[in-house]
Amino acid sequence: MERKRSVRRHRRYEKSYAKRAKEYCRTFIAFLFSNVGIIGLVVGYTMGGALMFRAIEKDYNFQVKTDVLVAKNLAVTKIWNYTLSMNPFTEEDYRKMIDKELVNFQNIIVKSVDKGYDGTRLSYSEQWSIAGAFLYSLTVITTIGYGNITPHTMAGQIMTIFYAIIGMPLFLLYLSNIGDIMARSFKWIYANICLCRWCPGVATRRAERKKKADKLRYYSDDEVGSSSDSVENTKMEDAVHRKTSYAPSEATTAADGDSEESYDVQSVTVPITVCLMIMVGYICFGGFLFCRWEDWKFLEAAYFCFISLSTIGFGDLVPGDKIIGHSDADEVLVDEVFELRFVFCAAYLMLGMALIAMCFNLMQEEVIHKIRTAIETVKYIFRCNRKQNFSELP
Amino acid sequence: MSRYQSRLDFAEFDQPSGCTKCLKIAWKTITCVFSHVALITLVVGYCAAGAFTFEALEVDNEKEVKRSIKGIRQNVTDHLWQLALESKVLDETNFTRNASNLIQNFEGALVKAMTKDGWDGEEDENIVRWTRTGSLFYSIIVITTIGYGHISPKTALGKVVTIFYAILGIPLMLLCLSNIGDIMATSFRFLYWRVCCYVCTRPKKSKRSRSGRSSVRSSERFSRSRNASFRRSMRTSTKSADSGLGYLEYHTSHSDTDLRYHDYGNRRSTSLPRNRQSQTSRYFEHNDRRGHSAPKYAVRGGSLDRKKYQHRFAQRELERLELQVLDRTPVLCNRYVVKKEELNGNPVPGITLRELENQNRGSSKRSLNAADQAHHLQLPRPDDFDSHHQRGAEARKKKSPARMNPSPRMMTPLGYGYRSKYLDDPDSDEESCYDDFYYDAEKQRTRPVPIGLCVFLVMSYIVGGAFLFDYWEQWGLLNSAYFCFITLTTIGFGDLVPAKGVSQDKSETTTSVAVSIALCSLYLLFGISLLAMSFNLVQEEVINNVKSIAKTLGIIKSDSEEDSEDEDI
Repeated sequence: MERKRSVRRHRRYEKSYAKRAKEYCRTFIAFLFSNVGIIGLVVGYTMGGALMFRAIEKDYNFQVKTDVLVAKNLAVTKIWNYTLSMNPFTEEDYRKMIDKELVNFQNIIVKSVDKGYDGTRLSYSEQWSIAGAFLYSLTVITTIGYGNITPHTMAGQIMTIFYAIIGMPLFLLYLSNIGDIMARSFKWIYANICLCRWCPGVATRRAERKKKADKLRYYSDDEVGSSSDSVENTKMEDAVHRKTSYAPSEATTAADGDSEESYDVQSVTVPITVCLMIMVGYICFGGFLFCRWEDWKFLEAAYFCFISLSTIGFGDLVPGDKIIGHSDADEVLVDEVFELRFVFCAAYLMLGMALIAMCFNLMQEEVIHKIRTAIETVKYIFRCNRKQNFSELP
Repeated sequence: MSRYQSRLDFAEFDQPSGCTKCLKIAWKTITCVFSHVALITLVVGYCAAGAFTFEALEVDNEKEVKRSIKGIRQNVTDHLWQLALESKVLDETNFTRNASNLIQNFEGALVKAMTKDGWDGEEDENIVRWTRTGSLFYSIIVITTIGYGHISPKTALGKVVTIFYAILGIPLMLLCLSNIGDIMATSFRFLYWRVCCYVCTRPKKSKRSRSGRSSVRSSERFSRSRNASFRRSMRTSTKSADSGLGYLEYHTSHSDTDLRYHDYGNRRSTSLPRNRQSQTSRYFEHNDRRGHSAPKYAVRGGSLDRKKYQHRFAQRELERLELQVLDRTPVLCNRYVVKKEELNGNPVPGITLRELENQNRGSSKRSLNAADQAHHLQLPRPDDFDSHHQRGAEARKKKSPARMNPSPRMMTPLGYGYRSKYLDDPDSDEESCYDDFYYDAEKQRTRPVPIGLCVFLVMSYIVGGAFLFDYWEQWGLLNSAYFCFITLTTIGFGDLVPAKGVSQDKSETTTSVAVSIALCSLYLLFGISLLAMSFNLVQEEVINNVKSIAKTLGIIKSDSEEDSEDEDI
């Protein structure tokens, strides 16, 4: 008896343990998809991609570099042979021969640059360094696609396709999540700081004014009936305004007294100019930073930021260019800076795209609001005539 | 609602003579066609303008770079010649060392020219990439945000112009693409349900019932996802109700609609023919699940009737009496209507009257309509105008559950979901002009095109593109497929670019470059709008699938806590 019971108890305990483990697992997954976890998820996914692509592509890049080295040596020996074999030294012949050889070599270089050769030395064989591969993975899932590093093996290309298929929705999820949070917090900041909502006197006065206006409208509406045009119109605008502001706001749970305020905050539409200012400011900020980090001019850096954040991604300017220019520099030091730069660039991109998503979120609201108001106005103008015709009808 | 109301107001006030009706239809068609055509023309014009601008800005620089390459090589030759001359005794190690240094520098210069200055390995000054067609391709690449980078502006002015060009062009392109995607989605859905399924469902009954079941499932899903948003809306509505709208008129209208709704539901269930049992049950389930939310639909559905204005006017007095009776009935729990009406700011009693009216008439009509629909969605002719709107109302009612999903925002970065959000909003005014085009689609939106078909379509498009580019550029199948994928997802590495291969052959002329570029840009424009279309088609279903998966995994707590978490997905 005793034993049985204990066994049963034990079993029950185990079950509960399994259950608990399951629960933990669930909460963990839920956390991963929550607002904070998604950042970690995206970073982890990108890191995984970086390791994978590095493993796949490293050897090929090495191969290309050795090919170039071989070609270079071949060219030099050929030139030496020409120099030796040309006994009657005529300048014209010699030049012609050498030019031919150089063109040959040039074509080889052009081809290998297309294959991903970047002019660095063999010992410094880190195009697919961890940081570089990280940036590559990030450009894939953000659809920027610089193309400064591209997979050239078959496995790399296939893996890129599948990596993108999974990664892009993940990144979109990240964008919408973070963009939403940022939009909400930005709205809160904007409402509290710029519009003086935090000042209780102003807020209550404003609320009272609004209330009064509402009441007035409704009463007048009641008196005149459904066809009091001007009132209806303004009210429509009001309604439209409220609706647009409702759409993204998630109506935070709060007590009654609070609810008024939060409602007010979320109903604020941030003007487009502010959003544009933020975007321009972020791009200029990036411009300054990259201007200092890289060898770029300010215009080039700002151009790079714009091209990256709009996900166009030409890849004509890519962080890490400086290293290629000075490949003779102290390599160990360069290596560290190189890695740091890639990581910094990645962070800039992730933050920037979320910021742009936020701005789009806010701007969309505002634009919809404006368009609707305009349409209402136009409609109102048209309706005026109709109504006049109609008023004689019944 | 209020906008509907206003629109309907003057629609009703028109005397429904044939002439005005014709005019109205014509006007709508013209505006629709014109808006699409105008948008596309605008985009094309914008691209052409970009082509001219960038060609003018960049072509000189490119020629300059090409000339400089020749100079560099000349220099190296000179150096080598000097080297050979100066060394009195030809010492191999010495000479080789010097020569290899020279060649190393030459290589560095070449790599720099290629990566920095955008040189493509072509030295002939007559073969430039910033031709008219090249620039056109560049403009397309910029505004679709593909950005291959095989040609990119190198002058400062070119860069600045590119920035502003992109700022204007990208939203324009998104608008155009999602517009085209919408049209394609509509026509594809039409094709799928009318042509394919009409053929395959008619002989077999079983298949149809299966589709019905699946739609039941989807409606369940909708309703489940709906719950949260309604709870949310309830919260907001209580808030708004608190904020000083203690208004008697409202309460009457609410209780009124609520009562009406029950009444209406009952009546409908009895009046429906037997053979639509599955459909009915679906409706019913739908309504039951949604419970309180239903009055809203009743309101919406009701307000759409345009005819018989005079007749209604006569009945209005009678209705008012009824209203007074209803006035005394206890206020039921429907704050949603408060929200709805408060939002739209049209608390006039006329609305309720009208809708009462409509429901009286609508119930019979709707049963008729349902019977009509039983004949498997035949094409509505333009002359039975009334049933159109009836159907439109039905469709809108069916469709509206999906409306408040937070889904469209998810696709915003790619812009696919952008426009569909507006269009899906039944209250939006843009729809008024699309109405006649879209009611068809709306009706069938409840019967989604299977995801597998869309995926298959996109896959086959990529594979087709792979064969095409393999034939055209001799890249090999895998490379071509990779290129198509990278292009269509707008990643755009630019390691494989169409015109590049052609220009390196040198035997080809510039015309073939132009043809190749044109082919590629057509392929990618069509492909991107195809992607937009399939996003359009599967978006909601995919999101609901993901949601249900997440729910089974326990990521989203089902029902009870959903409202706090469903914005995650």
